[in-house]
Amino acid sequence: MEVLNHLLLGLSVALTPINLAYLFVGVMIGMIVGIIPGFGPSAGIAILLPITFGMDPTSAVIMLAAIYYGSMYGGTITSILLNTPGESSTVASTFDGYPLAQQGRAGPALVMQAVASFVGGTLGVILITVLAPLFSQVTRSFGPPEFFLLVMMGLSTLIVMVGGNWRYGVISALIGFALGTVGVDLETGQTRFTFRSAEMIGGIDFIPIAIGLFGLGELYYAMYTGLHLKGSGGIVRYDKERRFWPTARDFIDTRFSLVRGSFLGFVIGVIPGAGATIASLMSYSLEKSASRTPEKFGKGMMAGLVGPEAANNAASSGAMIPLLTLGIPGSASTAVLLAAFVLWGLTPGPLLMAQKPEFAWGLIASMYLGNVALLALNIFAIPLFVLMIKLPYRILAPAVILVCTLGTYSVNGSIIETWLMFAAGLVGFFMRLYGFSPAALVLALVLGPLAEQSLRQTLTISDSSFGIFLERPMSAWILGITAAVLIAGIFMRRRARRPI
Amino acid sequence: MGGRALRAGFLLALLFAAGWYTWTAFAELSYLSSAGRLGPGFFPRIIGSGLVLFLAYSIFADLRRAAPEGDVSPYWRTAAVLALLCAVFVGLLELIGGLLAMVAFMAGALWFLNRGRTLQNVLVAILLPLAMYLIFSVWLNAALPRGLLPLPF
Repeated sequence: MEVLNHLLLGLSVALTPINLAYLFVGVMIGMIVGIIPGFGPSAGIAILLPITFGMDPTSAVIMLAAIYYGSMYGGTITSILLNTPGESSTVASTFDGYPLAQQGRAGPALVMQAVASFVGGTLGVILITVLAPLFSQVTRSFGPPEFFLLVMMGLSTLIVMVGGNWRYGVISALIGFALGTVGVDLETGQTRFTFRSAEMIGGIDFIPIAIGLFGLGELYYAMYTGLHLKGSGGIVRYDKERRFWPTARDFIDTRFSLVRGSFLGFVIGVIPGAGATIASLMSYSLEKSASRTPEKFGKGMMAGLVGPEAANNAASSGAMIPLLTLGIPGSASTAVLLAAFVLWGLTPGPLLMAQKPEFAWGLIASMYLGNVALLALNIFAIPLFVLMIKLPYRILAPAVILVCTLGTYSVNGSIIETWLMFAAGLVGFFMRLYGFSPAALVLALVLGPLAEQSLRQTLTISDSSFGIFLERPMSAWILGITAAVLIAGIFMRRRARRPI
Repeated sequence: MGGRALRAGFLLALLFAAGWYTWTAFAELSYLSSAGRLGPGFFPRIIGSGLVLFLAYSIFADLRRAAPEGDVSPYWRTAAVLALLCAVFVGLLELIGGLLAMVAFMAGALWFLNRGRTLQNVLVAILLPLAMYLIFSVWLNAALPRGLLPLPF
């Protein structure tokens, strides 16, 4: 009953005309961000952060969160029509989505992905509604040892779960931690690594770094791979097909895939460091294992599209739980969202839901409405987004650089931060080229101060004994869960070496 | 230029920066504070040492692999020129102001990437910066560089 009251409060906040307008703008931008290859929600949210400066905090966060989950929907359109995922979390949708489109079933594939995204996203929000208050209660007993372990859990999961060289993942996280130590040490007041520059005393702002790594770095990499020369020639003409809507058989055949994908995605999303990409790939594997005709996967199976789509959207909802109740983001995108919260004077953590219920529940309620808006957009506004896909990258790329640069400069009016973004872009390019993890870097940069502070407090409490991590029941639990997730991650990496 | 040499250069540059960071953490930041608690050098020493060790091992392990890496992509010049244009754009921001720098950057980038479509390039190079200027400077009232000779509007 209490949950229902909170939800009604949230709806009263989300249903105001201004918040509805910002929600709609957010989902539209999210769709566009998802469609542009190599331009993900992390860069999208970071660049658009300055635009929200004149807004009410709740409206701003509703819009930024809408960009985040909206991008999960948008990335699939290019996966189905162009065989190019707009987002890493929609890679699995190319496996069967594009073959379906080639067989003249692009329309049904597009509608079914919209329905799957809606079901996954909405089930995820329902689970947030029920579970977030419970998580909030449990996490109120967390102290410095638990917070330190949660940060480590998020980073180690991200490094192990995401493919590529794990050593480079560790190096990326350590670089992020190192950047996070620049500025004044909050306990002693001593400056560190500032080159005696007044602008560095406040530390390195993560917005220029995030925009540089995810915006410019990805864009240079796209140029390096020759993306600017590719046109939209391979795009499937869904408007020439005889049948746009899916059949009843499509819905019947994929009903269990929808449920499996949604629950799996949500659970993966809650684990810090895992996330939508892992969730969608795991869901694809699960669907293939559960199918009576696994040999048809990769040749146009609707279940191979529906499961991963439900999973990546449910994961993006699940990731909001550690963010709202612990203040610990599980991915680079939620790290940018966390920074937006802090910028607005909102401190996510165990007390947020009790102290700022109108904000927390307004955001959750807006996610229900956002998913409805995205379902409608994904079915009825497809021609508009196809136009976006046809926009040549050689024109889009300079426009993105323009937005990145202005977005960075307008945060603090600082040319030094703009140069920092440029440098981060170059580093981001090489990181992308050699398989480093920009997401681990940004996550460590955002969580570095929390990790350092909580480790120092923990060792002060325990008189420099690391045994405290095993003595406290909650921290021992977190250690156990981390170990289980890491073992699962290592197992998945070994399996991934074999063809899916 | 081979891909291996470029990778080695990147890793060595990171190792150099990590070495400086670690040296500073040990030489200039104290391990304990004056109150006897863990001080400002405690965390950076752990991070710096870890970075140096992982980078040194990566350089050793990656560069002695038997399989040679392929050459760099034929499009590396495109990425390099775009990065150079971006640097010039940032440099021009406070010199000629946001709007003119945007027009100059768009004109240069489109001339390089979208050759042979002069009318399209001219229109995009003027209209897009104008729209951005109106959104950021007029509608959002965000800080945009005015340049040494600010525009009259």
